[in-house]
Amino acid sequence: MRHVISLKIGPARFRIGSAWRAPIAQLTALYADYPRDEDIADFTVRLDPAGFGRRWVRPSARIAGDHMLPDAAPMALRHGLLAAEMGMNLQMALGWRRHLLLHASSAEKNGRALVMTGESGSGKSTLAAMLGERGWRFMGDEFALLDMVSGDVLPFPRLVSLKNSAIDVVREGVGDTTRFGPLMHATPKGDICHLVPPRDAIARMDEGAKPALLLFPRYGHAPDMRPVGKGETFMRLTQASTNYVACGEAGFHALHSFVDRVPSVALDYGDGAQAVEMVERLWSDLP
Amino acid sequence: MSGVRYRAESADELVRRPLDDLHLIYHRRSGQTHLVASPVPEMLDALAGQALDADGLCALLSQDYDLEDPQQAHAELTAHLDMLDALGLVRRV
Repeated sequence: MRHVISLKIGPARFRIGSAWRAPIAQLTALYADYPRDEDIADFTVRLDPAGFGRRWVRPSARIAGDHMLPDAAPMALRHGLLAAEMGMNLQMALGWRRHLLLHASSAEKNGRALVMTGESGSGKSTLAAMLGERGWRFMGDEFALLDMVSGDVLPFPRLVSLKNSAIDVVREGVGDTTRFGPLMHATPKGDICHLVPPRDAIARMDEGAKPALLLFPRYGHAPDMRPVGKGETFMRLTQASTNYVACGEAGFHALHSFVDRVPSVALDYGDGAQAVEMVERLWSDLP
Repeated sequence: MSGVRYRAESADELVRRPLDDLHLIYHRRSGQTHLVASPVPEMLDALAGQALDADGLCALLSQDYDLEDPQQAHAELTAHLDMLDALGLVRRV
């Protein structure tokens, strides 16, 4: 590969290569504060030309790597940064086995972790990013890694992927404009802008926390909070985990222990500020 | 006339955990997780270490539980036995 960067995010090491300079240059700038780990990578991601001549003519990248989706559509080179991020997420989702992987965002306060899971559009990324600017330690917006021995949640603080209206919402709370990546219009996921996590989130990327609260946020609804039963929580978390089956009995014990100990709440909200206030209220009521 | 008899999967193959009023079962032999409600946990207890047909199971459970309409209970237990057999949580003997 012509252009390469090696990165460590939480416990995972990536080697990302590209036929084009631009995506690697963008990653280099946005991941400037992350460890440059030259050890053997856990995963390789490649951005290859989608076909003959597509390096130059209507340049288009195919996301390749150790784990691939055979039917994934190629992406325009102007969305190369997003393609690289999607490639890294794909490797984690399909290949990570050291922790039970939950499709969830997380944030930490006083040594305890808040985990938020939900479908795309639920606002879990936005909420984690907002909390990260308001006294919480941002731990991740995409994957929470559940240690199957200790029960701790470990961070995976990659760039925050902000979508559509969330971009402006988070911009208001982040003074440093250099932390934002390029605004990518009309990607397959809508308008996307990446945000570099706060410095302490990166510096403490190896530091886990005991999970204390699980939320199922839902954006765009009248404010409401209601407890979620353990059976439903367990079922929804198996669906939110990409490696639950692969983790076997260790994953079963870890998830049962998590669900049995951690209170679970469905949280409906109309806007980010309202959600932050509701989260803080729930958090302050925890035993 | 006695019907098909069933025995629960060996206890070594089942990891069972209560979760509120439900039961989680991890089946080691298949690697599958099941989330079940009553009467499945009670049926697995009754069929642990002994083989029973639907009549015998109905009679045994009726000692500890109010099964209300015996005919309906029998039909429901038979349906559950078929399902548990398909999952490998009970076996025909």
